[in-house]
Amino acid sequence: MSIPAGTAYVGIIRLAVASLARTAGFDEERVDDIRIAVSEACTNAVLAHEEAGADQPIKVAWTEAADRVIVQVEDRVGARGADGVSPQDSQGFSTRMVMSVALLQEMADDLTIEPSESGGTTSRLTFSR
Amino acid sequence: MELGLDVHKVGDHSVVDVKGEIDVYTAPKLREKLIELVSEGSHHVVVNLEGVDFLDSTGLGVLVGALKRVKAHDGSLSLVCTQDKILKIFKITGLTKVFPIHSSVDEAAGGAA
Repeated sequence: MSIPAGTAYVGIIRLAVASLARTAGFDEERVDDIRIAVSEACTNAVLAHEEAGADQPIKVAWTEAADRVIVQVEDRVGARGADGVSPQDSQGFSTRMVMSVALLQEMADDLTIEPSESGGTTSRLTFSR
Repeated sequence: MELGLDVHKVGDHSVVDVKGEIDVYTAPKLREKLIELVSEGSHHVVVNLEGVDFLDSTGLGVLVGALKRVKAHDGSLSLVCTQDKILKIFKITGLTKVFPIHSSVDEAAGGAA
């Protein structure tokens, strides 16, 4: 999936991901965890684009394996720290990023935030099933 | 996706009933409403989250910002929330220690009717 880097589109990704998670057999509590974590990763990507004035789309990839689902959220904005924390986002929520990473780490079974090949940042969220 | 915001008074508390999803798209609307209330002199605010289906880090950021504003006026900001999925967000981020969280509006407003 590819979405424009606008805040209005994050809710659409939540709907899509919740539907995919149900189809993949996750129970409702896990569906909610996945919805929250992917929403956070997309929010961070959208805000990073806003901050940088970048208008390229954000890519969201859903991959299913026998024992897990991997969701990758890729933006086109230069790498943020390994902890994903930027000093302040465009909406001035200075403590937001710390809370976002706390939610991501808790909801996903594994989380990596790394520079991508295209010069952006990729958040890779793994959910065991 | 719309965020419903209804404000009413319970004693000296301003109660904001929030309905819908609080995310990066809708959180600015909540922030504006809370800033407006505080600037109009409402320094004891109750945010009722019982009608909220989704809350993310941007919504938490707005609530933390509003708490700072009311505290600057010796005021208070408390929350009403009994939904496990929303309470979980406050627990994970450590905010259960920051916000008084009540099970009803009357309880949050100190029993005033």
